[in-house]
Amino acid sequence: MSKQMKGLGVGLTAAVGTVHVVAPAQPLPAWGRSSIGAEAEMDRLRGATAAVVADLDRLAAGADHTTAEIFEAMKMWLEDDGLLEIAEEHLNEGSDAAGAIGQAFNAFAAMFEGDAAFEERIADLQDLSRRVQAHLAGIHLGLDLPQTGRLVLVGEDFSPADTAQFTPAVVGVITRAGGPTSHTAIICRARSIAAVVSVTDAGSLVDGQTVLVDPVGDRVVVDGSITDATKPLEFADTDAATLIPVRSNIGTAADAKTAAATKANGVGLFRTELLYLSASTQPSVEQQAASYAEVLAAAPDGPIVVRTIDAGSDKPVPFLNMPHEENPSLGVRGFRLIVEHRQFIADQLTSLEAARKSTGREVWVMAPMIATVDEAAEFAALARSIGDFKVGIMIETPAISMQVDRLSGVVDFVSIGTNDLSQYLFAADRMNPALGALLNPWQPGLIRMLAKIGTDGAAAGVSVGVCGESASDPAFAVVLAGLGITSVSASPSQVNVVSNALASVTLEQAKAVAAAALSGTDAASAKAAALEALAATR
Amino acid sequence: MASFTGIVEVLDPIGMHARPAGQIVKLVKESGLDVTFQYDGTESKANSALRLMAMKVKTGEKITVVIEGDDEGTANGIISQIQDFLKG
Repeated sequence: MSKQMKGLGVGLTAAVGTVHVVAPAQPLPAWGRSSIGAEAEMDRLRGATAAVVADLDRLAAGADHTTAEIFEAMKMWLEDDGLLEIAEEHLNEGSDAAGAIGQAFNAFAAMFEGDAAFEERIADLQDLSRRVQAHLAGIHLGLDLPQTGRLVLVGEDFSPADTAQFTPAVVGVITRAGGPTSHTAIICRARSIAAVVSVTDAGSLVDGQTVLVDPVGDRVVVDGSITDATKPLEFADTDAATLIPVRSNIGTAADAKTAAATKANGVGLFRTELLYLSASTQPSVEQQAASYAEVLAAAPDGPIVVRTIDAGSDKPVPFLNMPHEENPSLGVRGFRLIVEHRQFIADQLTSLEAARKSTGREVWVMAPMIATVDEAAEFAALARSIGDFKVGIMIETPAISMQVDRLSGVVDFVSIGTNDLSQYLFAADRMNPALGALLNPWQPGLIRMLAKIGTDGAAAGVSVGVCGESASDPAFAVVLAGLGITSVSASPSQVNVVSNALASVTLEQAKAVAAAALSGTDAASAKAAALEALAATR
Repeated sequence: MASFTGIVEVLDPIGMHARPAGQIVKLVKESGLDVTFQYDGTESKANSALRLMAMKVKTGEKITVVIEGDDEGTANGIISQIQDFLKG
């Protein structure tokens, strides 16, 4: 029997490939005194900066516009006269190249300190300093992956900089840390790369081993073959009515077009941040209305649920002043921006109303990061004074989850963001890879909370949707329907498979599957019980 | 060689940040002229984007630009382009 390791599966695709361990970055060597003289050190430094410029060019080629712009600025800083003057002074005093450039970067980082607007630039300078010093020491920071072959990457967790370097040769990913909502998981699900995360024993895998990555089985099998892969529950492809509407999550007009080619019944989450995160000044109401009209016109038939801006100091909008915060996910974000930026949120709603009129689409609006009934009422009053919308709120905080019964007559609908609700319910930072297992949607604490929200919403006459990653799992979507959730919204790539699942069960069957999930005392037993109950309906 | 002086105002809502600083240094280097920024009692050569950013000039504040050159028209052209970069 080949060795198997348990983890959390991502998506439905299995793959077999060769293990390629991505080692954690080696520490940089300590700075020293030069033994080759200032001029020779300067030559080494120029060689290293040229190599980093080439690396940044490669990264910028595959990056989005905002990120590419940052890489451009970083390239310019590498050749900055002011930086090189300071480095040269240190070389003349006998430093080696690494010490000279390290101290020069530190000097500017110190000058930038104490100013919120420059916090990210300090991080960029430190990143550059690390890259140049790594080149000087002959340490590779990049993944250097081949273009061909069948690789299964094994690592602690992968950052956006890492996943940007994935080549077509990457067929599978195994991480020791990270959860189902980690960056790695989201990228792998979107690109249909087989992935199992939170594999505690991943450290025992070595280069060259053949492994089966079996996400449906929540496991990795050493020397496994593709025929060993756990079969996902198959649902017949059908256009029959789904038990509850299945909508799509989108962020751009391109997403809207992709979603329109699926079975999606409207849009359950239109993330509006992309329009603002790369703008250096606030777009005019006319510009915003035109952008929204383009998305609304392309969206799949049905209602379009638009989330007002969900920014915070970790996702700053350049033209809104967002001071540095110790805990951005617990800070001034989402609807809380209304205290300082009421006009901005009003302008967004005005733009949406103009786009609604010009396209004739049915638009629902909702505010993120609501914690109290008063906040919900404030948003509802503002939105209704501006446009002819159905009005709702996101449910992400445990506080508002406990007051859904009191939203009767206040809002028309709520939409549960299970990623953030898990983060706040379990007090587990979504960005902390060590806490991934707590963010598993099959955790009984979350399922019970969802059951309460479904029941309270029904009693209050408020419809309850789910738009988190969890709704992209067809089995979990059936559980949600059984818990009284009245619509789900999934990534465009998962809409059809979720639709097929929800077309294949009756309400009674979904309730039985949900009851089975509720009987589990931990995430693994909840999932196993639900899958067994679901299989019994077939 | 004469010296020309102009005053520019930072209108960009995020102050003197990476993008305008980069644009200014590119322009100054292409001109081949010696350009100095004076602000709040400090002075910096405009050949380094990092030094310009480190001056931390905020929105609504003014910078004195000093250009060493022979031609007033060229100098005024540079000053007005710098002002454009600072409009955000």
